[in-house]
Amino acid sequence: MPFSVPTGLPRAVLAPLRAAVLLLAVSIAVFAATELLPGDAADAVGAGRASAAQLAELRAERGLDRPGWERWAGWAWALLHGDAGRSLLTGRPVLDLVGGRLPATAVLAASAFGLTALLVLLGCALAGRRALRRPGDAGGGLATALTAVPQVVVAAALAALLSGVLGWVPPVSLLPPGGGPPDPSILLLPVLTLALPSAAFGVALLGGVVADALRRPYVTDALIRGVPTGRILRRHVAPVLAAPALRVLAVVVGGLTAGSALVETVFGYAGAGELLVSSVAVRDTPVVQFLGLGSAAAVLAVLLLADLVPVRRTS
Amino acid sequence: MTFKQRRPALLIAFAVLVAGCSAPPPTSGSTTSTLRYVAAGSPAAASNDPHGGLANESDALRFSLLYDVLTVPGDDGTAKPRLAASWEPDRTLTRWTFRLRPEATFTDGRPVRAADVLYSLRRIERKAAENYGRLASFDTRASTAPDDHTVVLVSRMPNALAPEALESVTFVVPEGSEDFGKPVAGSGPYQMAGGDAQTAVLKRNPKWWGSHPSLDGVEIRAVADPQARAAAVTSGQADVAGSVSPAAAKAAGTGVRVVRRTPVTEYPFVMRLDRKPFDDPRVREAFKLAADRRALVDTVFLGYGKVANDLPTPYDASYPEDLAQRPRDVARAKELLTAAGHADGLEVTLLTTTSYPGMDAAATLYARQLADVGVTATVRNEPPDTYFTNVWSKADFYTGYFGGIPFTDVARVALLSKSPTNETAWKRPAWDKAFTEALAVRDDADRNGRLGALQKELWKDGGYVVWGLGEGLDLTSPAVHGLPTGPGFQRFLLDGVRLGDAG
Repeated sequence: MPFSVPTGLPRAVLAPLRAAVLLLAVSIAVFAATELLPGDAADAVGAGRASAAQLAELRAERGLDRPGWERWAGWAWALLHGDAGRSLLTGRPVLDLVGGRLPATAVLAASAFGLTALLVLLGCALAGRRALRRPGDAGGGLATALTAVPQVVVAAALAALLSGVLGWVPPVSLLPPGGGPPDPSILLLPVLTLALPSAAFGVALLGGVVADALRRPYVTDALIRGVPTGRILRRHVAPVLAAPALRVLAVVVGGLTAGSALVETVFGYAGAGELLVSSVAVRDTPVVQFLGLGSAAAVLAVLLLADLVPVRRTS
Repeated sequence: MTFKQRRPALLIAFAVLVAGCSAPPPTSGSTTSTLRYVAAGSPAAASNDPHGGLANESDALRFSLLYDVLTVPGDDGTAKPRLAASWEPDRTLTRWTFRLRPEATFTDGRPVRAADVLYSLRRIERKAAENYGRLASFDTRASTAPDDHTVVLVSRMPNALAPEALESVTFVVPEGSEDFGKPVAGSGPYQMAGGDAQTAVLKRNPKWWGSHPSLDGVEIRAVADPQARAAAVTSGQADVAGSVSPAAAKAAGTGVRVVRRTPVTEYPFVMRLDRKPFDDPRVREAFKLAADRRALVDTVFLGYGKVANDLPTPYDASYPEDLAQRPRDVARAKELLTAAGHADGLEVTLLTTTSYPGMDAAATLYARQLADVGVTATVRNEPPDTYFTNVWSKADFYTGYFGGIPFTDVARVALLSKSPTNETAWKRPAWDKAFTEALAVRDDADRNGRLGALQKELWKDGGYVVWGLGEGLDLTSPAVHGLPTGPGFQRFLLDGVRLGDAG
């Protein structure tokens, strides 16, 4: 126990520092990856019809004629001063572009996260019940199998079932123009596609922990003594589960962030993830950079939060 | 027009396929008539600048509703007045005087003056790198505005088709507009009421000079994937889906109407005259004779199209109607290849991509047809992201694209010795000279005859295998009436569209 909980002060200082270094690394990695792709924003604007001289002109206008490190440094310096820059393709401010998309992604991610948490809880309860009834069985096979299914297959299967066969929801999720809350029916497919694999992942990892906790001698003992199940769960199982559960949910947030790019593109849901995918296609580096950094910051913040919750072990 | 096709299209296509025609969409029964239009376009590339590349159809549609243009294409192929009420050339056809509608005003209250028009035209010329030199034939610096409602445009060469060259894309913005991060005021039939470049809400501009359009508002959403656009209409989320794939039109079912536009979409096979084996005219003719055009049209456009005759603009007024259709002639093609020294066969690589639906299928089928004349063509599918920068106008033999521009524009971008993207390496000084001379001819019949003769030369010797033309296909709910069916920018003029009863 003394080793697993370092003293508070250095941790509170170290963790944000580590996060800052990680963010820096992420921004360099994202920039480098965008650089390595063939073609640049000037190519996208010229669409193959611009002459070499015109391309050079387009590059100069956008500062793309400068070396990569200089462009990255300029971008980082401006960002530190609150200027996220403008799209290389359309000249629209990056903050406008991303700001217009964030509410949609926030609604999607929050709904998916809520559903994931609910499903994980349900799955853990089932795993616990199973562990109590059949102590020898490892269980978790279904959850592990579901985790292995690629998200794009989940999307296709759900769309075919819910939209194709049953006709409950539209196969595409178009947001109302001019903002406003999206209709719940268009959220169903993307939310399920995000939440089902995440929940399976959570249950696969946590189900075993639950089963282990329930198989501990003092729990078995308490059960035999006739202590109410609710009390056992609250006093003996929940504390053991809290820290790993938070960590798993933090990882799930990362998964949702990455998954939203795919899910939004598949269902035509115009959120930040879809913007990221289409901005990569046209090599719009400032937009890609900002979104990459934003998602990294969100994931790191949640991991940081999970890290700060002390691990409790049963003695 | 190069918006990218999305791979997950397959998934949605699958879902739509399963859905079939079982669910008739709810028709919009709202009292205010707002047309919900889902247009082709990459949302990330959605722009507020009407003087850029217009690669997104969703942008072109929005600009066509927000801004006035000088002229629009008429049904007979000649330019019709819009912001320009009338025009008159001088005797040399190099100075054109355009008279503007004096009653036109921007939505911010300022009148539309000749200075605004001149500013806009100069800006378009300055941004030539982004808009493929759209106004390259004009010298906008030398052009003048003698009074508030008159613009004198100077053409670099005598040009009888100057009003046609100004059609549709001469969007007029207020003089001095520089920041297009946000939309600037326009003087068109509609004005912005909300949203942004990617999902725009437009309402009728009550002060527009033209006749009152029927629709109160238009909502435009940019959706890149053609299957997703089709699904939006079949599921009742939109009234119009612009530019859907032939497969989506075939699968549309009963609750949805298919609007078939004049066929102008082409995926020609492009051969470079300056590279082997295509430097030999006999090889080029053999490749043209090898094409089974009907089979290609039926496979690629699913019948929504027609056979073409190796000329890129059969819809142009200057097309030589007396030209015989080139047939498929396997025996003759083999003879020609033998004469060219390829009796033992010939191996070529045909590049293609998936930027537009059916481009890959076209190449695959044509490769099989080439096998019948003894040519082994290996088809290589290139990524759509980089096709138009790495393959287009560079490779020896590939699948190209034309989307309905007039013959004079095709000549300017691809057929003159100095054309920036002379993809077939068609470099003939005599042809260039005859083209320039033809443009200086004022009489329509005489000029079209000369331009037609140039096209006949191209038919005989050129590097294009133009096998067919695909129709533009839009899906609409049954309540939409009067959607334009003309080619090119005509489809963006929604003045005559109305929402009524289904049927």
